[in-house]
Amino acid sequence: MLVSNSSPDAASRAAIRLLMEWLPGASAVEGSTDLDLSSRAEQPQLRSAQIVEGSTLRAVNVPDVTRTMASGFGAFLDGAQKVRVIGRDLNVPLVLGTTSAAVRIRVNRRLVTWEHQPPRLEQKLYLPLRYLRPLTETLRPSSQTKYGQFQIVDTSTPDSSGEYPIEHPTVLLERAIRAVDRQRDALEDELAEAWCAIGGAPLFIDGGISRSERVASSAKAIGVIKSHRTLYVEGDALRTVVGLAKGERSSVFLVSPRSRSEVMSWYLRLRDPAGHDVLWGLVRVEMSRCENPTERANEISRWVLAETSPLALPDGRWDKMSYGIRDCEEFLRAIS
Amino acid sequence: MTGALGRVVATERKPNTPHEFHFWTAIDSPVGIGTIVRVDGAQPMDGQIPHIYGIVVEGFSYTDLQSPMHDVLGHDGLPTMAGYAATERAEIRLYTAAVLRQIPEEPLQPVPMGQVFLAEEADVQIALRMDSYLREGANTGIPIGVYRAGGTEAVIYLDADFLLGPEAAHLNITGVSGLATKTSAVEWLLASLFRHFPEEKGSIAAVCFNVKGPDLCYLDQPGKVEKSDEALYEKLGVEAKPFQKVEYFAPYTAKGLALNTFRNNEALLDNVTPLTWGLREVLQFAEVLLNRDDIDAKADALIDFITDSVVDKEFTDPLLSKKHRVQSFADLDAWFRDVLQGMERKDGESWRTHHVATIRKVRNRLSNISTRCAGLVTDSGAVSDLPFGSFEDRTVYVVDVANLEEDAQDLIFARIVSKLREHLERRDLGVKHLVVFVDELNKYAPGDGADTYVRKMLLDIAERGRYLGLVLFSAQQFRSQVHRRVVGNSGTSLFGRMDPDELSTPGYAVLSPATRTKLATLEKGQLMIRHPHFTQPIFVRFPRPAVMQGREGSERYPQSSDVSLEAAILRALRPLDPTITLPWVQEITALYTPEEVIRARNATLLARPDNVKAYFTAQFRKIIPAQAATRPMAGSIKSAPENDPYGF
Repeated sequence: MLVSNSSPDAASRAAIRLLMEWLPGASAVEGSTDLDLSSRAEQPQLRSAQIVEGSTLRAVNVPDVTRTMASGFGAFLDGAQKVRVIGRDLNVPLVLGTTSAAVRIRVNRRLVTWEHQPPRLEQKLYLPLRYLRPLTETLRPSSQTKYGQFQIVDTSTPDSSGEYPIEHPTVLLERAIRAVDRQRDALEDELAEAWCAIGGAPLFIDGGISRSERVASSAKAIGVIKSHRTLYVEGDALRTVVGLAKGERSSVFLVSPRSRSEVMSWYLRLRDPAGHDVLWGLVRVEMSRCENPTERANEISRWVLAETSPLALPDGRWDKMSYGIRDCEEFLRAIS
Repeated sequence: MTGALGRVVATERKPNTPHEFHFWTAIDSPVGIGTIVRVDGAQPMDGQIPHIYGIVVEGFSYTDLQSPMHDVLGHDGLPTMAGYAATERAEIRLYTAAVLRQIPEEPLQPVPMGQVFLAEEADVQIALRMDSYLREGANTGIPIGVYRAGGTEAVIYLDADFLLGPEAAHLNITGVSGLATKTSAVEWLLASLFRHFPEEKGSIAAVCFNVKGPDLCYLDQPGKVEKSDEALYEKLGVEAKPFQKVEYFAPYTAKGLALNTFRNNEALLDNVTPLTWGLREVLQFAEVLLNRDDIDAKADALIDFITDSVVDKEFTDPLLSKKHRVQSFADLDAWFRDVLQGMERKDGESWRTHHVATIRKVRNRLSNISTRCAGLVTDSGAVSDLPFGSFEDRTVYVVDVANLEEDAQDLIFARIVSKLREHLERRDLGVKHLVVFVDELNKYAPGDGADTYVRKMLLDIAERGRYLGLVLFSAQQFRSQVHRRVVGNSGTSLFGRMDPDELSTPGYAVLSPATRTKLATLEKGQLMIRHPHFTQPIFVRFPRPAVMQGREGSERYPQSSDVSLEAAILRALRPLDPTITLPWVQEITALYTPEEVIRARNATLLARPDNVKAYFTAQFRKIIPAQAATRPMAGSIKSAPENDPYGF
């Protein structure tokens, strides 16, 4: 996932002009820039998981790892989002969100955009319509409709328990950011599902694959997770994972997130962590359930290890990031 | 029309301007330094989509790698491992192009964003403003070569009005020695000129000074033409044939027996004419042969006096012992001797205001000329010269001075160019336009050093020749060392492969580093052209001249070595009369001195009579064969009286 930060652009200016026409009390935020979402993360947590490869989680040396091993991935998928508070109407933040996603396929060792499904790019206004009376009257009864050149996403709809968000500006902004997140996830899932339905070689997805049932159940989708706010190991298993050496993986276990599909997963150490923090060079790989998890995990681990070259530098996450995902991010940065 | 091959890009750090823009292409696009491209702007201006034509002058390639160290780390320091990486890094081909032309031309704006296309033949004509002189009615295009890029092959034309005048004129070509690019380019261009110079603009001929080697000695002989060159000839509309009309001129060797040229093989002598001058011809250009210290005002006055009052006139003076008629260097020396002896007799210090020291000095210098220019200057005064006044259209006149001493070369150059100029001024040369080709301009018109007569003449041609129809095609290895006014007045400049040291001189600073690099590595047959219509230099390929190259010619027609007097006479006369044999020559010349024989040969070659044998024989004075000597009978000696003291 790419989170970019750039100066005001034409879209922001167009959006705020439009809003100020309909919201007499609205004002632009001077020098608005994209929010830095990197610090906005869920609480770190440990969760236990069901081991499917043996009875206890252990370190497995990935066999046949050589300098010349080939990767079986044929494409890479990543998404990006930008969130910008372009104005406010009294206490209500007016948010412009840009989401994008793309599949880059590998042809003759060079990455190009997948022609079958063009990259997705959407710019929407994320507004709590409940607290923007003039707009509510204009846009009623739809909660998501077109307003000028922009789609509007209502961020003040009730949650699963039927509660509306309170009028606190931070809460409203959090709501908008989550809506943008969901939108980016939707774009990524859309492309991943299309690939699973049509594509050839396995797709390297930046992040998990469990959101979509069709993706989670496809052998063509492999998710590689770089962030470890949630670690699916506890106790000795945790010590085993953080102690993985370069080229070692953990036993395969089942991940069953709430309201998501169940997938198989394992940790894999891509680079020697000596002299670095314990999570350096560590990724978690997700794949659909299968009958032969050991062989499959070994094969996919070799592919992921093969993707460590060339380095994804200068990206700061280069220890975990594959070059293909960096290419996706650069592509999305260029088009969004 | 082919698809777009690139897109214009501009950043704040690297913006586009009205004269330069940047674009990127696919990695495998056929774009390189010198490629001409067309940009189609996206926004119409006054209802017209702007088209911008440019030529690629610089190229950049880079990846997203921030530091080379990252690549080293990524492959564990093993270059061979790079080939196993699953993915190649993202890579860019970014080019900088110099604007050739914008349509519409006003208002002149920075190049807009847009798609970039490879220029097709029609685009090339517009980009280089050739459309103005290739249109119906103008028709002054002279093909110089073919521009090639991608699938485009476009003929590049020079504008005759800017090559031969009156708008601009002159051509200068620079390139390293040894690749035959300079000579080949000039030979090719002359062939193209003779074929395409518009009839309505009048006749044209060329005088080429062959200053080194045999390169220009076989212009009338066919050379090898490769298949690829045949296609070029066809595209350029020129027949792959040697020059149809070529005349060669060369002085004799110092001995006076053979012509001092690489082209003195008997098989090629039919169009070789001796170049010999007498006293009068030389005196007019004595300044060329005398250094600056020699020609002070006093010496100059004496030379003028001799030229005006002595040469070819009956000259009498009370001081002199006899009447003089000076027609040759020998006569002149006799005249000087008489003058000096007369002054000695009178014990005078001056004669007719000329001081005795000046007279001695001028005698010394002038008498020396026939020695320094032996073979060219004849003591007898016989003159064999270029056909001033009857020059023929589409004819090349080659003056071979390659084997001559520097003094003789200077004299030949100065006199011939002066005569050409005189005739063109009077419009009686025989042709309306004349190209003079001079190689080794570094030597004849250097940027520094003494202001020689030859350099003054070259400057004069460069600055005023175009008004007369006298056009200078010049060549040298180091343009930076040629007088600035000579190269500066050349409307058209050609550049073959260049020496890197030369390219580092300030004169080439206007070229981009990539263009300079390309110039330093140009193949044989490639040129970079600057022409008044072209706002940027253009690279072209020209065909190898369809004439025999110097090396091949000298192998097929070896230069004749020094031969006997009789053999030399035979070789000189046989082209005029094939029935002449060596025994006949030996019989006719047996009784005469070599000087008399050579004089007879020169007179015959000059006259080119119908009856060569009779004319040649008539040149000799009658010599009555000596009668066998008989010993006279000795008479008796009258004995003297013994006592006769007086001997009676």
